[in-house]
Amino acid sequence: MIEVRNVYKRYRTHRADDWVLRDINFAIPRGVNVGLVGRNGAGKSTLLRLIAGMDFADKGEIVRRCRVSWPIGLTGGFQGSMTGRQNVKCVARIHGNDRFMKAVIHRVEAFADIGKAFDQPVKTYSSGMRSRLAFGLSLAFDFDLYLSDEATAVGDKAFRAKATAAFRDKVGKAGLVIVSHSEGILKELCQAGLFLRDGHAYWFDSIDDAIAAYHESIKRS
Amino acid sequence: MSQAPRPPLQVTLDVWHAMFMREALARTMAGRFAWFWMIAEPVAFVVIMIGVREVLGRVRFVIGADFVPWLIVGLLGFFLFREGLLRSIGAVDANKGLFAYRQVKPVDPVIARNVVEGILKTVVFMVLIAGASLLGYEILPADPLAAMFIWFSIWVLGLGAGLVASVVAPLVPEIGRVLRMLILPLFLLSGVIIPLHALPHSIQHYLLYNPVVHALEALRLSFFSGYKSLAGVDMLYLWWWALAMVALGLALHLRFTMRVKAK
Repeated sequence: MIEVRNVYKRYRTHRADDWVLRDINFAIPRGVNVGLVGRNGAGKSTLLRLIAGMDFADKGEIVRRCRVSWPIGLTGGFQGSMTGRQNVKCVARIHGNDRFMKAVIHRVEAFADIGKAFDQPVKTYSSGMRSRLAFGLSLAFDFDLYLSDEATAVGDKAFRAKATAAFRDKVGKAGLVIVSHSEGILKELCQAGLFLRDGHAYWFDSIDDAIAAYHESIKRS
Repeated sequence: MSQAPRPPLQVTLDVWHAMFMREALARTMAGRFAWFWMIAEPVAFVVIMIGVREVLGRVRFVIGADFVPWLIVGLLGFFLFREGLLRSIGAVDANKGLFAYRQVKPVDPVIARNVVEGILKTVVFMVLIAGASLLGYEILPADPLAAMFIWFSIWVLGLGAGLVASVVAPLVPEIGRVLRMLILPLFLLSGVIIPLHALPHSIQHYLLYNPVVHALEALRLSFFSGYKSLAGVDMLYLWWWALAMVALGLALHLRFTMRVKAK
Protein backbone atom coordinates (compact mmCIF):
# COMPACT_ATOMS: atom_id res chain seq x y z
CA MET A 1 0.00 0.00 0.00
CA ILE A 2 2.87 2.30 0.92
CA GLU A 3 6.35 1.93 -0.41
CA VAL A 4 9.30 3.83 0.98
CA ARG A 5 12.35 3.60 -1.25
CA ASN A 6 15.87 4.80 -0.40
CA VAL A 7 14.57 7.76 1.56
CA TYR A 8 17.05 10.24 3.02
CA LYS A 9 16.06 13.25 5.05
CA ARG A 10 17.97 16.00 6.80
CA TYR A 11 17.15 19.41 8.18
CA ARG A 12 19.57 22.08 7.08
CA THR A 13 20.88 24.39 9.72
CA HIS A 14 23.84 26.71 9.86
CA ARG A 15 25.91 24.06 11.54
CA ALA A 16 26.32 20.40 10.82
CA ASP A 17 23.53 18.83 8.84
CA ASP A 18 23.43 15.18 9.77
CA TRP A 19 20.98 12.85 8.15
CA VAL A 20 17.92 12.32 10.32
CA LEU A 21 16.90 9.40 8.13
CA ARG A 22 19.34 7.36 6.09
CA ASP A 23 18.46 4.97 3.31
CA ILE A 24 15.04 3.96 4.62
CA ASN A 25 13.44 1.09 2.72
CA PHE A 26 10.25 -0.71 3.55
CA ALA A 27 6.82 -1.50 2.24
CA ILE A 28 3.62 -1.66 4.23
CA PRO A 29 1.26 -4.29 2.83
CA ARG A 30 -2.50 -3.79 2.93
CA GLY A 31 -4.10 -4.67 6.24
CA VAL A 32 -0.92 -4.57 8.32
CA ASN A 33 -0.74 -2.11 11.18
CA VAL A 34 2.72 -0.81 11.95
CA GLY A 35 4.09 0.65 15.15
CA LEU A 36 7.08 2.98 15.04
CA VAL A 37 9.41 2.72 18.03
CA GLY A 38 12.66 4.40 18.92
CA ARG A 39 14.01 6.95 21.35
CA ASN A 40 13.19 10.66 21.17
CA GLY A 41 14.81 12.22 18.16
CA ALA A 42 15.25 8.95 16.30
CA GLY A 43 13.18 10.28 13.39
CA LYS A 44 9.80 8.67 14.05
CA SER A 45 7.81 11.84 13.62
CA THR A 46 9.88 12.88 10.62
CA LEU A 47 9.18 9.57 8.93
CA LEU A 48 5.47 9.94 9.67
CA ARG A 49 5.46 13.45 8.22
CA LEU A 50 7.14 12.14 5.08
CA ILE A 51 4.53 9.40 4.69
CA ALA A 52 1.79 11.98 5.19
CA GLY A 53 3.30 14.17 2.48
CA MET A 54 3.73 17.14 4.81
CA ASP A 55 7.45 17.23 4.19
CA PHE A 56 9.66 16.06 1.37
CA ALA A 57 12.45 13.52 1.26
CA ASP A 58 15.83 14.85 0.18
CA LYS A 59 16.49 11.65 -1.72
CA GLY A 60 14.39 8.65 -2.60
CA GLU A 61 10.66 8.42 -3.00
CA ILE A 62 7.50 7.44 -1.20
CA VAL A 63 4.75 5.78 -3.21
CA ARG A 64 1.20 5.91 -1.91
CA ARG A 65 -1.29 3.59 -3.55
CA CYS A 66 -4.24 4.42 -1.31
CA ARG A 67 -5.90 7.26 0.52
CA VAL A 68 -3.56 8.28 3.34
CA SER A 69 -4.76 10.49 6.18
CA TRP A 70 -2.90 13.43 7.66
CA PRO A 71 -1.47 12.66 11.11
CA ILE A 72 -4.50 12.18 13.33
CA GLY A 73 -5.16 14.88 15.86
CA LEU A 74 -3.27 17.54 13.92
CA THR A 75 -4.49 20.91 15.19
CA GLY A 76 -2.25 23.17 13.11
CA GLY A 77 -4.67 23.39 10.20
CA PHE A 78 -7.32 25.34 12.07
CA GLN A 79 -7.94 28.99 11.35
CA GLY A 80 -8.42 30.65 14.73
CA SER A 81 -10.92 33.28 13.67
CA MET A 82 -13.24 30.75 12.06
CA THR A 83 -15.63 28.52 13.98
CA GLY A 84 -15.12 24.81 14.45
CA ARG A 85 -17.89 24.17 11.97
CA GLN A 86 -16.33 26.41 9.31
CA ASN A 87 -12.96 24.74 9.77
CA VAL A 88 -14.52 21.30 9.42
CA LYS A 89 -16.27 22.42 6.24
CA CYS A 90 -13.01 23.69 4.80
CA VAL A 91 -11.19 20.41 5.39
CA ALA A 92 -14.15 18.44 4.06
CA ARG A 93 -14.09 20.52 0.88
CA ILE A 94 -10.36 19.95 0.43
CA HIS A 95 -10.99 16.24 0.58
CA GLY A 96 -13.86 16.48 -1.88
CA ASN A 97 -16.67 15.61 0.45
CA ASP A 98 -19.11 18.25 -0.66
CA ARG A 99 -21.87 15.73 -1.19
CA PHE A 100 -21.38 14.21 2.25
CA MET A 101 -20.84 17.53 3.98
CA LYS A 102 -23.75 17.11 6.38
CA ALA A 103 -22.70 13.60 7.36
CA VAL A 104 -19.08 14.66 7.92
CA ILE A 105 -20.11 17.61 10.10
CA HIS A 106 -22.47 15.40 12.04
CA ARG A 107 -19.78 12.80 12.69
CA VAL A 108 -17.25 15.38 13.84
CA GLU A 109 -19.77 17.14 16.05
CA ALA A 110 -20.79 13.87 17.66
CA PHE A 111 -17.25 12.70 18.27
CA ALA A 112 -15.78 15.99 19.46
CA ASP A 113 -18.71 16.48 21.83
CA ILE A 114 -17.82 20.09 22.63
CA GLY A 115 -21.38 21.37 22.59
CA LYS A 116 -22.02 24.98 21.65
CA ALA A 117 -18.29 25.64 21.26
CA PHE A 118 -18.57 23.96 17.85
CA ASP A 119 -19.97 27.26 16.56
CA GLN A 120 -17.44 29.45 18.37
CA PRO A 121 -14.15 30.62 16.88
CA VAL A 122 -11.42 28.02 17.30
CA LYS A 123 -9.14 30.55 19.00
CA THR A 124 -11.45 30.45 22.03
CA TYR A 125 -10.88 26.68 22.44
CA SER A 126 -8.75 25.08 25.08
CA SER A 127 -6.06 22.70 23.83
CA GLY A 128 -8.19 19.75 24.91
CA MET A 129 -11.14 21.01 22.87
CA ARG A 130 -8.90 21.54 19.88
CA SER A 131 -7.65 17.97 20.17
CA ARG A 132 -11.21 16.67 20.36
CA LEU A 133 -12.17 18.57 17.24
CA ALA A 134 -9.02 17.51 15.39
CA PHE A 135 -9.43 13.87 16.35
CA GLY A 136 -13.08 13.84 15.34
CA LEU A 137 -12.15 15.45 12.05
CA SER A 138 -9.56 12.80 11.24
CA LEU A 139 -11.99 9.98 11.92
CA ALA A 140 -14.87 11.51 9.94
CA PHE A 141 -13.23 10.49 6.68
CA ASP A 142 -12.70 6.91 5.63
CA PHE A 143 -9.05 6.63 4.72
CA ASP A 144 -7.27 3.42 3.76
CA LEU A 145 -4.36 4.26 6.00
CA TYR A 146 -4.35 6.35 9.16
CA LEU A 147 -1.26 7.95 10.62
CA SER A 148 -1.04 8.74 14.29
CA ASP A 149 1.65 10.53 16.24
CA GLU A 150 0.80 10.00 19.91
CA ALA A 151 -2.77 10.95 19.07
CA THR A 152 -4.23 9.00 21.96
CA ALA A 153 -2.00 10.71 24.51
CA VAL A 154 -3.96 14.00 24.64
CA GLY A 155 -7.15 15.09 26.34
CA ASP A 156 -8.85 13.98 29.54
CA LYS A 157 -9.40 10.40 30.66
CA ALA A 158 -12.82 10.04 29.04
CA PHE A 159 -11.50 11.33 25.75
CA ARG A 160 -8.45 9.07 25.82
CA ALA A 161 -10.71 6.08 26.30
CA LYS A 162 -12.93 7.25 23.48
CA ALA A 163 -9.96 7.83 21.18
CA THR A 164 -8.48 4.40 21.89
CA ALA A 165 -11.88 2.81 21.29
CA ALA A 166 -12.15 4.66 17.98
CA PHE A 167 -8.76 3.32 16.97
CA ARG A 168 -9.75 -0.21 17.90
CA ASP A 169 -12.80 0.27 15.73
CA LYS A 170 -10.65 1.18 12.73
CA VAL A 171 -8.45 -1.91 13.06
CA GLY A 172 -9.37 -4.33 10.34
CA LYS A 173 -11.17 -1.69 8.28
CA ALA A 174 -8.10 0.40 7.56
CA GLY A 175 -4.36 0.33 8.08
CA LEU A 176 -2.62 2.20 10.86
CA VAL A 177 0.87 3.59 11.28
CA ILE A 178 1.35 4.58 14.90
CA VAL A 179 4.05 6.43 16.75
CA SER A 180 3.60 5.79 20.44
CA HIS A 181 5.55 5.29 23.62
CA SER A 182 2.68 3.34 25.11
CA GLU A 183 3.60 -0.30 24.54
CA GLY A 184 0.17 -1.45 25.53
CA ILE A 185 -1.42 0.40 22.66
CA LEU A 186 1.26 -0.74 20.21
CA LYS A 187 0.89 -4.39 21.17
CA GLU A 188 -2.85 -4.22 21.02
CA LEU A 189 -3.23 -2.46 17.66
CA CYS A 190 -0.17 -3.37 15.62
CA GLN A 191 1.15 -6.51 14.01
CA ALA A 192 4.44 -5.31 12.55
CA GLY A 193 6.98 -2.92 14.00
CA LEU A 194 9.58 -0.52 12.69
CA PHE A 195 12.48 0.27 14.98
CA LEU A 196 14.41 3.48 14.26
CA ARG A 197 17.93 4.07 15.47
CA ASP A 198 20.68 6.42 14.25
CA GLY A 199 18.70 7.26 11.15
CA HIS A 200 18.26 3.66 10.11
CA ALA A 201 15.01 1.73 10.17
CA TYR A 202 14.71 -1.96 11.01
CA TRP A 203 11.57 -3.81 10.02
CA PHE A 204 10.14 -6.55 12.28
CA ASP A 205 7.23 -8.70 11.23
CA SER A 206 6.16 -8.84 14.85
CA ILE A 207 5.69 -5.75 17.00
CA ASP A 208 6.94 -7.69 20.02
CA ASP A 209 10.32 -8.20 18.35
CA ALA A 210 10.53 -4.49 17.49
CA ILE A 211 9.83 -3.50 21.08
CA ALA A 212 12.35 -6.08 22.29
CA ALA A 213 15.01 -4.64 19.97
CA TYR A 214 14.19 -1.18 21.26
CA HIS A 215 14.61 -2.34 24.87
CA GLU A 216 17.85 -4.07 23.96
CA SER A 217 19.23 -0.82 22.52
CA ILE A 218 18.31 1.09 25.67
CA LYS A 219 20.06 -1.46 27.85
CA ARG A 220 23.24 -1.38 25.79
CA SER A 221 23.64 2.39 25.74
CA MET B 1 -16.93 9.18 3.81
CA SER B 2 -15.54 6.58 1.51
CA GLN B 3 -14.80 7.04 -2.15
CA ALA B 4 -12.33 6.06 -4.81
CA PRO B 5 -9.19 8.20 -5.20
CA ARG B 6 -10.05 11.34 -7.12
CA PRO B 7 -8.40 12.27 -10.41
CA PRO B 8 -5.77 15.03 -9.96
CA LEU B 9 -7.89 17.70 -11.66
CA GLN B 10 -10.78 16.97 -9.31
CA VAL B 11 -8.47 17.29 -6.31
CA THR B 12 -7.28 20.68 -7.57
CA LEU B 13 -10.83 21.91 -8.14
CA ASP B 14 -11.91 20.72 -4.68
CA VAL B 15 -8.96 22.49 -3.07
CA TRP B 16 -9.66 25.70 -4.99
CA HIS B 17 -13.28 25.59 -3.91
CA ALA B 18 -12.27 25.13 -0.27
CA MET B 19 -9.63 27.85 -0.41
CA PHE B 20 -11.95 30.27 -2.16
CA MET B 21 -14.66 29.85 0.47
CA ARG B 22 -12.11 30.15 3.25
CA GLU B 23 -10.49 33.28 1.86
CA ALA B 24 -13.82 34.92 1.08
CA LEU B 25 -15.04 34.25 4.62
CA ALA B 26 -11.82 35.36 6.27
CA ARG B 27 -11.62 38.51 4.17
CA THR B 28 -15.18 39.73 4.57
CA MET B 29 -15.94 38.55 8.09
CA ALA B 30 -12.64 39.57 9.68
CA GLY B 31 -13.18 42.38 12.16
CA ARG B 32 -16.37 44.32 12.73
CA PHE B 33 -16.03 46.76 9.86
CA ALA B 34 -14.22 44.72 7.22
CA TRP B 35 -16.88 45.54 4.65
CA PHE B 36 -16.96 49.19 5.61
CA TRP B 37 -13.20 49.64 5.26
CA MET B 38 -13.11 48.05 1.84
CA ILE B 39 -15.15 50.98 0.53
CA ALA B 40 -13.93 53.56 3.02
CA GLU B 41 -10.21 53.15 2.38
CA PRO B 42 -10.18 54.25 -1.27
CA VAL B 43 -12.79 56.95 -0.56
CA ALA B 44 -10.71 58.32 2.29
CA PHE B 45 -7.65 58.26 0.07
CA VAL B 46 -9.40 60.19 -2.70
CA VAL B 47 -10.67 62.76 -0.20
CA ILE B 48 -7.19 63.21 1.31
CA MET B 49 -5.59 63.63 -2.11
CA ILE B 50 -8.16 66.24 -3.13
CA GLY B 51 -7.53 68.00 0.18
CA VAL B 52 -3.78 67.98 -0.39
CA ARG B 53 -4.27 69.40 -3.84
CA GLU B 54 -6.51 72.19 -2.56
CA VAL B 55 -4.10 73.10 0.25
CA LEU B 56 -1.08 73.12 -2.02
CA GLY B 57 -3.08 75.21 -4.43
CA ARG B 58 -0.87 73.97 -7.19
CA VAL B 59 -3.38 72.73 -9.64
CA ARG B 60 -1.89 70.51 -12.25
CA PHE B 61 -4.36 70.08 -15.02
CA VAL B 62 -5.04 66.71 -16.43
CA ILE B 63 -5.78 67.16 -20.08
CA GLY B 64 -9.08 65.66 -21.14
CA ALA B 65 -10.33 64.45 -17.75
CA ASP B 66 -11.52 65.85 -14.42
CA PHE B 67 -9.07 65.39 -11.61
CA VAL B 68 -11.33 63.44 -9.27
CA PRO B 69 -12.51 60.76 -11.75
CA TRP B 70 -8.96 60.59 -13.10
CA LEU B 71 -7.66 59.97 -9.57
CA ILE B 72 -10.31 57.39 -8.70
CA VAL B 73 -9.64 55.34 -11.83
CA GLY B 74 -5.88 55.42 -11.34
CA LEU B 75 -6.08 54.72 -7.65
CA LEU B 76 -8.38 51.72 -7.93
CA GLY B 77 -6.30 50.34 -10.80
CA PHE B 78 -3.20 50.62 -8.65
CA PHE B 79 -4.94 49.10 -5.64
CA LEU B 80 -5.96 46.13 -7.75
CA PHE B 81 -2.34 45.53 -8.67
CA ARG B 82 -1.04 46.23 -5.16
CA GLU B 83 -3.43 43.83 -3.46
CA GLY B 84 -2.51 41.12 -5.96
CA LEU B 85 1.14 41.53 -5.04
CA LEU B 86 0.97 42.14 -1.28
CA ARG B 87 -1.88 39.82 -0.33
CA SER B 88 -0.18 36.96 -2.16
CA ILE B 89 2.86 37.34 0.06
CA GLY B 90 0.63 36.93 3.10
CA ALA B 91 -1.41 34.11 1.54
CA VAL B 92 1.26 31.44 1.95
CA ASP B 93 2.00 32.41 5.52
CA ALA B 94 -1.64 32.65 6.60
CA ASN B 95 -2.45 29.17 5.29
CA LYS B 96 0.67 27.41 6.50
CA GLY B 97 -1.43 25.17 8.72
CA LEU B 98 -3.36 23.85 5.74
CA PHE B 99 -0.24 22.56 4.02
CA ALA B 100 -0.46 19.66 6.45
CA TYR B 101 -3.13 18.37 4.09
CA ARG B 102 -0.93 17.21 1.26
CA GLN B 103 -3.55 18.13 -1.35
CA VAL B 104 -3.03 21.84 -0.65
CA LYS B 105 -0.08 23.39 -2.48
CA PRO B 106 1.23 26.87 -1.71
CA VAL B 107 -0.03 28.05 -5.10
CA ASP B 108 -3.66 27.32 -4.19
CA PRO B 109 -4.20 29.97 -1.50
CA VAL B 110 -2.41 32.50 -3.72
CA ILE B 111 -4.77 31.88 -6.62
CA ALA B 112 -7.83 31.79 -4.36
CA ARG B 113 -6.85 35.01 -2.67
CA ASN B 114 -6.29 36.77 -5.98
CA VAL B 115 -9.71 35.69 -7.23
CA VAL B 116 -11.39 36.89 -4.02
CA GLU B 117 -9.45 40.14 -4.12
CA GLY B 118 -10.25 40.71 -7.80
CA ILE B 119 -13.97 40.26 -7.16
CA LEU B 120 -13.93 42.55 -4.11
CA LYS B 121 -11.97 45.30 -5.85
CA THR B 122 -14.30 45.11 -8.86
CA VAL B 123 -17.31 45.60 -6.57
CA VAL B 124 -15.59 48.47 -4.75
CA PHE B 125 -14.69 50.09 -8.07
CA MET B 126 -18.28 49.86 -9.31
CA VAL B 127 -19.60 51.31 -6.06
CA LEU B 128 -17.16 54.21 -6.35
CA ILE B 129 -18.06 54.81 -10.01
CA ALA B 130 -21.75 54.83 -9.09
CA GLY B 131 -21.13 57.16 -6.14
CA ALA B 132 -18.98 59.57 -8.10
CA SER B 133 -21.35 59.75 -11.05
CA LEU B 134 -24.27 60.41 -8.66
CA LEU B 135 -22.21 63.33 -7.33
CA GLY B 136 -22.06 64.66 -10.86
CA TYR B 137 -18.57 63.62 -11.95
CA GLU B 138 -18.06 62.34 -15.46
CA ILE B 139 -16.64 58.95 -14.60
CA LEU B 140 -18.68 56.48 -16.64
CA PRO B 141 -16.25 54.70 -19.01
CA ALA B 142 -16.24 55.96 -22.57
CA ASP B 143 -15.35 52.49 -23.81
CA PRO B 144 -16.72 50.00 -21.26
CA LEU B 145 -15.51 46.86 -23.04
CA ALA B 146 -11.97 48.14 -23.26
CA ALA B 147 -12.15 49.25 -19.62
CA MET B 148 -13.23 45.77 -18.52
CA PHE B 149 -10.48 44.13 -20.54
CA ILE B 150 -7.80 46.45 -19.17
CA TRP B 151 -9.14 45.96 -15.61
CA PHE B 152 -8.73 42.23 -16.18
CA SER B 153 -5.22 42.78 -17.56
CA ILE B 154 -4.25 44.63 -14.39
CA TRP B 155 -5.60 41.73 -12.35
CA VAL B 156 -3.45 39.28 -14.34
CA LEU B 157 -0.42 41.54 -13.82
CA GLY B 158 -1.07 41.55 -10.07
CA LEU B 159 -1.59 37.79 -10.08
CA GLY B 160 1.74 37.29 -11.87
CA ALA B 161 3.60 39.55 -9.46
CA GLY B 162 1.87 37.82 -6.56
CA LEU B 163 2.76 34.33 -7.83
CA VAL B 164 6.43 35.26 -8.07
CA ALA B 165 6.47 37.09 -4.74
CA SER B 166 4.66 34.31 -2.88
CA VAL B 167 7.46 31.83 -3.63
CA VAL B 168 10.37 34.21 -3.23
CA ALA B 169 9.21 35.93 -0.03
CA PRO B 170 8.95 32.81 2.18
CA LEU B 171 12.32 31.52 0.97
CA VAL B 172 14.14 34.85 1.29
CA PRO B 173 12.26 36.88 3.93
CA GLU B 174 14.21 40.04 3.11
CA ILE B 175 12.64 40.19 -0.34
CA GLY B 176 9.16 40.39 1.16
CA ARG B 177 10.22 43.41 3.16
CA VAL B 178 11.87 45.11 0.21
CA LEU B 179 8.77 44.53 -1.91
CA ARG B 180 6.57 46.17 0.72
CA MET B 181 8.95 49.12 0.79
CA LEU B 182 9.01 49.38 -3.00
CA ILE B 183 5.24 49.79 -3.18
CA LEU B 184 5.38 53.48 -2.23
CA PRO B 185 7.95 54.52 -4.86
CA LEU B 186 6.04 52.42 -7.37
CA PHE B 187 2.87 54.26 -6.36
CA LEU B 188 4.50 57.60 -7.10
CA LEU B 189 6.23 56.46 -10.29
CA SER B 190 3.08 54.91 -11.72
CA GLY B 191 1.38 58.26 -12.09
CA VAL B 192 -1.47 57.56 -9.71
CA ILE B 193 -1.51 61.08 -8.25
CA ILE B 194 0.96 62.96 -10.45
CA PRO B 195 0.05 63.36 -14.12
CA LEU B 196 3.04 61.93 -15.93
CA HIS B 197 2.57 63.81 -19.18
CA ALA B 198 3.65 66.99 -17.36
CA LEU B 199 7.12 65.49 -16.92
CA PRO B 200 9.94 65.97 -19.42
CA HIS B 201 10.09 63.49 -22.22
CA SER B 202 13.51 62.22 -21.14
CA ILE B 203 12.03 61.08 -17.82
CA GLN B 204 8.85 59.70 -19.37
CA HIS B 205 11.07 57.49 -21.47
CA TYR B 206 12.33 55.70 -18.35
CA LEU B 207 8.98 55.64 -16.57
CA LEU B 208 7.55 53.67 -19.45
CA TYR B 209 9.61 50.65 -18.45
CA ASN B 210 7.16 50.23 -15.56
CA PRO B 211 4.25 48.05 -16.74
CA VAL B 212 1.92 49.60 -14.14
CA VAL B 213 2.20 52.95 -15.96
CA HIS B 214 0.96 51.31 -19.13
CA ALA B 215 -1.86 49.65 -17.20
CA LEU B 216 -3.13 52.77 -15.47
CA GLU B 217 -2.82 55.05 -18.49
CA ALA B 218 -4.57 52.52 -20.73
CA LEU B 219 -7.36 52.26 -18.15
CA ARG B 220 -7.74 56.03 -18.09
CA LEU B 221 -7.73 56.22 -21.90
CA SER B 222 -10.63 53.77 -21.95
CA PHE B 223 -12.54 55.85 -19.38
CA PHE B 224 -12.04 59.39 -20.74
CA SER B 225 -12.45 59.79 -24.49
CA GLY B 226 -10.55 63.09 -24.73
CA TYR B 227 -7.75 62.09 -22.35
CA LYS B 228 -4.23 62.90 -23.42
CA SER B 229 -1.83 60.29 -22.09
CA LEU B 230 1.87 59.59 -22.49
CA ALA B 231 3.13 58.68 -25.91
CA GLY B 232 4.07 55.03 -26.03
CA VAL B 233 1.39 53.44 -23.81
CA ASP B 234 1.19 49.91 -25.08
CA MET B 235 -1.12 47.09 -23.96
CA LEU B 236 1.15 44.53 -25.56
CA TYR B 237 4.00 45.57 -23.29
CA LEU B 238 1.70 45.17 -20.30
CA TRP B 239 0.69 41.67 -21.40
CA TRP B 240 4.28 40.59 -21.98
CA TRP B 241 4.98 41.48 -18.37
CA ALA B 242 1.79 39.88 -17.09
CA LEU B 243 2.25 36.60 -18.94
CA ALA B 244 5.97 36.42 -18.27
CA MET B 245 5.39 36.89 -14.53
CA VAL B 246 2.56 34.36 -14.41
CA ALA B 247 4.76 31.84 -16.20
CA LEU B 248 7.75 32.58 -14.00
CA GLY B 249 5.60 32.45 -10.86
CA LEU B 250 4.07 29.09 -11.77
CA ALA B 251 7.49 27.70 -12.65
CA LEU B 252 8.89 28.85 -9.30
CA HIS B 253 5.93 27.30 -7.50
CA LEU B 254 6.50 24.03 -9.35
CA ARG B 255 10.17 24.04 -8.46
CA PHE B 256 9.98 25.16 -4.83
CA THR B 257 6.60 23.85 -3.64
CA MET B 258 8.04 21.47 -1.08
CA ARG B 259 10.54 23.98 0.23
CA VAL B 260 7.85 26.62 0.73
CA LYS B 261 5.59 24.03 2.35
CA ALA B 262 8.24 22.83 4.78
CA LYS B 263 9.22 26.37 5.80
